[in-house]
Amino acid sequence: MTDIAKEALSPPRSFLSQDAIQLFYRLLAVLLICAVLAVLNESFLSLGNILNVLRQASLTFFIASGLTLVVLTAGLDLSVGANVALSACIAGTVIHTTGSPVLGILTGLACGGIVGLLNGIMVTALRIPSFIATYGMLWVLNGLTYWYMAGETLHGFPAGFRQIGSGYLFGLPIPVYLLLVFLGIGTLFAQRTIWGQEIYAIGANPVAARLSGIPVTRRLLLVYTVSGTMAGLASIIFLSRLNSAEADIGESLTLPAIAAVLIGGTSLFGGVGTVFGTFIGALILTLVLNGMNLLSVSANWQPLVTGIIVILAVWLDMKTRRRAQ
Amino acid sequence: MREAAIVSQANPLQRIPGVAIVLGALIVLFGAIAPGFLSPANLSNVLVQSTILTMLALPMTLIIMTEGLDLSMGAVLTLTSLCVAIVSLATKSMLLGLGAGVLVGAAFGTVNGWLVAILGIPPFVATLGTLGMAQGLSLIVSDGQSVVGIPHSVRDIYSATLAGVPVPIVIALVTYAFFHALLYHTRFGSYVFALGGNREALRYAGLSPNKLLIAVYALGGTMAGIAGLLMTARMNSGHPTAGLGLEFDAIAAVAVGGTSFERGNGWLLGTLLGVISVGVLRNGLNLISLPSSVQVASVGVLVIVALFLDGLRSRA
Amino acid sequence: MNAHVSPPGETAAAPLLELRGISKAFPGVKALDDVSFALYPGEVHMLLGENGAGKSSLMKVLCGAYQADAGEFFYNGEKVTIASTADAQKLGIAVIFQEFSLVPYLDIAQNIFLGREPKGRIPGTIDRRRILADAKRLLDTIGFEIDPSIIVNTLGVAQQQMVEIAKAISQNARILVMDEPTAALSDRETELLFALIARLKADGVSIVYISHRMAEVFALGDRITVLRDGRRIDGVKPADVTPDQLVRMMVGRTVDMTYPRHFADKPGEVLLEVRNLTAPSGISDINIEVRRGEIVGLCGLVGSGRTEVARAIFGADPVASGEIVFDGKPISGEPDIAARRGIALIPESRKSEGLALLRSVGDNLVVSALRKLFPSGLFDPRGSQRTADGLIRQLRIATPSARQTVGLLSGGNQQKVVIGKWLAAGAKLFIFDEPTRGIDVGAKSEIFALIDRLVAEGAAALMISSEQVEICHVCDRAYVMREGRVAGHLTRNELTEENIVRLGMHHA
Repeated sequence: MTDIAKEALSPPRSFLSQDAIQLFYRLLAVLLICAVLAVLNESFLSLGNILNVLRQASLTFFIASGLTLVVLTAGLDLSVGANVALSACIAGTVIHTTGSPVLGILTGLACGGIVGLLNGIMVTALRIPSFIATYGMLWVLNGLTYWYMAGETLHGFPAGFRQIGSGYLFGLPIPVYLLLVFLGIGTLFAQRTIWGQEIYAIGANPVAARLSGIPVTRRLLLVYTVSGTMAGLASIIFLSRLNSAEADIGESLTLPAIAAVLIGGTSLFGGVGTVFGTFIGALILTLVLNGMNLLSVSANWQPLVTGIIVILAVWLDMKTRRRAQ
Repeated sequence: MREAAIVSQANPLQRIPGVAIVLGALIVLFGAIAPGFLSPANLSNVLVQSTILTMLALPMTLIIMTEGLDLSMGAVLTLTSLCVAIVSLATKSMLLGLGAGVLVGAAFGTVNGWLVAILGIPPFVATLGTLGMAQGLSLIVSDGQSVVGIPHSVRDIYSATLAGVPVPIVIALVTYAFFHALLYHTRFGSYVFALGGNREALRYAGLSPNKLLIAVYALGGTMAGIAGLLMTARMNSGHPTAGLGLEFDAIAAVAVGGTSFERGNGWLLGTLLGVISVGVLRNGLNLISLPSSVQVASVGVLVIVALFLDGLRSRA
Repeated sequence: MNAHVSPPGETAAAPLLELRGISKAFPGVKALDDVSFALYPGEVHMLLGENGAGKSSLMKVLCGAYQADAGEFFYNGEKVTIASTADAQKLGIAVIFQEFSLVPYLDIAQNIFLGREPKGRIPGTIDRRRILADAKRLLDTIGFEIDPSIIVNTLGVAQQQMVEIAKAISQNARILVMDEPTAALSDRETELLFALIARLKADGVSIVYISHRMAEVFALGDRITVLRDGRRIDGVKPADVTPDQLVRMMVGRTVDMTYPRHFADKPGEVLLEVRNLTAPSGISDINIEVRRGEIVGLCGLVGSGRTEVARAIFGADPVASGEIVFDGKPISGEPDIAARRGIALIPESRKSEGLALLRSVGDNLVVSALRKLFPSGLFDPRGSQRTADGLIRQLRIATPSARQTVGLLSGGNQQKVVIGKWLAAGAKLFIFDEPTRGIDVGAKSEIFALIDRLVAEGAAALMISSEQVEICHVCDRAYVMREGRVAGHLTRNELTEENIVRLGMHHA
């Protein structure tokens, strides 16, 4: 169909309201799941469980928020889970040897960020497709972590440090505060900085973005570094919450993070999505998994369900996009 | 002017050096530093241990030639291995076990192909999703436990010899011969080249690219099913993480072997040499007492380097 | 108009294929208007015309890719329909595309017989010996001596073309359509192709041949059909015309010229200077100068390297050697540097290179100006909205609001958005690549009025266009490109369509 005909046929609409509708559906889904779970299991609505859900969701969210930016540029970072494991183990060692949680936290963040930067270099300078470059990175990190830990487990961290993951403030778990802080920062970064705008532009059409004068390479490096740094942050929370570090803690983290991003309405094809949507996505996924748990479904079912959710989310995204075009 | 710049690429035969150099260098290196590496027993061991990887890497070559990817292969192998274990344990029949494995593998492969070809989901996400599904099903059917007490008929497949040659090596050779014939001497093989190189040409010739694509992925799943039998035989048990990450070794072998991720440029012999390279690398590192974790990391580096070089080549 | 010249070799009575009164319209453009065309057995029929004269539309109607709105087809005197590529195939019509339909990593024989492989004894297998023998025989008949087991990817362009032709012949093609087949060939390869064409002719195959090279037209053609503005202007025999007469038939398009142009008395200071620019994209030794207040044309045939010059200046393609001086200082690097210095590129392909189609009009309008509008780095949606609204008013972009998805606007309004994006960024040099492609007449005038105003205010424009009339009308002067080089420079007085065509075509 031609432009003119298309213009005549389709009513004027804006993408913002589309976004709003999509978000509305997701919030509805959250409420629906909550209602169903509340009916099926009375302990769902207990304060303890709700706080537990929020804390779980926050862990997924930290990883998924950085990943959202990567997916906004039509890329993917499959190494986030392995990055969390390596960063946690290195940060844990630093805390053990120096006794300084601050130094440990900084090391964890730096480690995550450097891994992210390396991902960015592979994608931009070496021009390896992001999914395969970060998949290679996943195994490099995995190998490094297992080698570094050599089967050991790091145990026992200072009480102050442990507060980050398991402490409470005014009755709410500290990770929930961190969640709100990073939800705010992430949203501000994506919606209210020119870098955020440029990231959307790159994802929507990388060729046009480059020909519009956006420094695409530098922005991509930034995005992958942020994603890595957020994985580093998640590693700190994990370390603090579990009070231990093992080489295998990252193995079950990547798929849920990707699921959260995709359920949250961020398009795998770039340019569409929000950090807040990812938060909702993390919430939905956590509620589903938490519900399964409450209904005494074995944890063994979790990867199966997450896998199905990933495929469904991509499929839905493709359907809405096809309609939008 | 730009459209006129069709670069004629190097003859695929000129690529023999690439992977051969890698393999040669690895053999020389480990021959020098790893005690016992060059002993016939060890070399035979390398080949025997490469069997399962061969059975994954060959169909992976075809999948990558279609500009696709199958991240679920390792998880599907795990699942089929468990199916083989459970069914053969229950029925005491190796063949029924194999049948169950092949059935489940083919089903997963077909689903992968359907998601990619019909729904149009990018292969890496589609197969990432099915990876999760296969992993989950593995945990569910095994309840996270190993399945032990496998019948001898299954176990013997891995340890038996045929005219002095270990059966796994025979199986690997048969598999290679099958894939070689399939890719280079059948219509289907020609169409696999066309799936990656020029899908329009297929359509123009009145063929259905979608059906062919599903068939390619289904073949991958089926091979994972057969490899499941070998995996169970080798471990003498079914284990819910047995095939973890094997798809990565397969991708590594394909990438090192010189199959391009673009334009349907595949080379089976290269993949075979790639498989042996990965096997030598792991075996050599093992002999000099580096843990499997270092092996995993080295394979990761190998893939990234190979992809980088592949990118350079296709840009040249 | 519809009177046909008599066929070659007066004995051949009936045309093999005849098109009568073919029309094809796209919204805003009449691509083909009552075109009639007859092709006789064993003739080479040259199709001549400027870019956009309707040659490729005619070709696509012929091979079933487009369906004609009106008109009839006759094959051997019988009325037929060509509604799909399958119909065309059945009639033995094959197109040799410039982008090949070959599978790069299969051998020649497998490519020729893709989907029609001779079966081997084992089901599913290919009879290797037979496919090679069949291919060899086929290649022999077209005089192409090559081993059919060679992988196609290792062949040169000319050889791949030969394989394409062999593939078409193997499908019993009686009519071959070739679109500038020599464009990428060396002299030696061209000779081989011509020899092949002679041989095919002798076998009674008819060839429709699109060319921009005068020498070819006269060397190969049995008859020539000239198209202009989607109409058939004339059908002639090479012996009856001179190259100059042909050029005159091709030019002289009638276009509604409502846009005014205020030529400056004397141009301003030099804004852009390109010295001996050579780039791997296929341009060499380019020397160009653009002054403030000027609109400088960059013409030549499609593929002559115009777009590549624009991209090299903008930093979108790498440069091998030479120098680009902008506003007194040398410039090099990625597009973000050029954009920051004040160069704007309005690319030919709006949809794929100029806009993010799924984003809003407002987002697209401010994307290049983010740094300028928000120096603190903090993005303010309301500020962005104000800027966008201002531009929508200033450029009279027809959109319900700045929130409208840009992909839903018409071509002309989309183009205004692309220009507006650079206005917001404060660009000084505007490089337009086919600014009026796919835009209706009214919007064209508006766009030209806009460019006129820009340069009057001290900016400068470099304008690539295949519409020679437009170049003649709006440009102060123009460079004409041919085969990756600047073939000549035309001042305001010398700027005529005929001069542009003459410089741009291959006369040798």
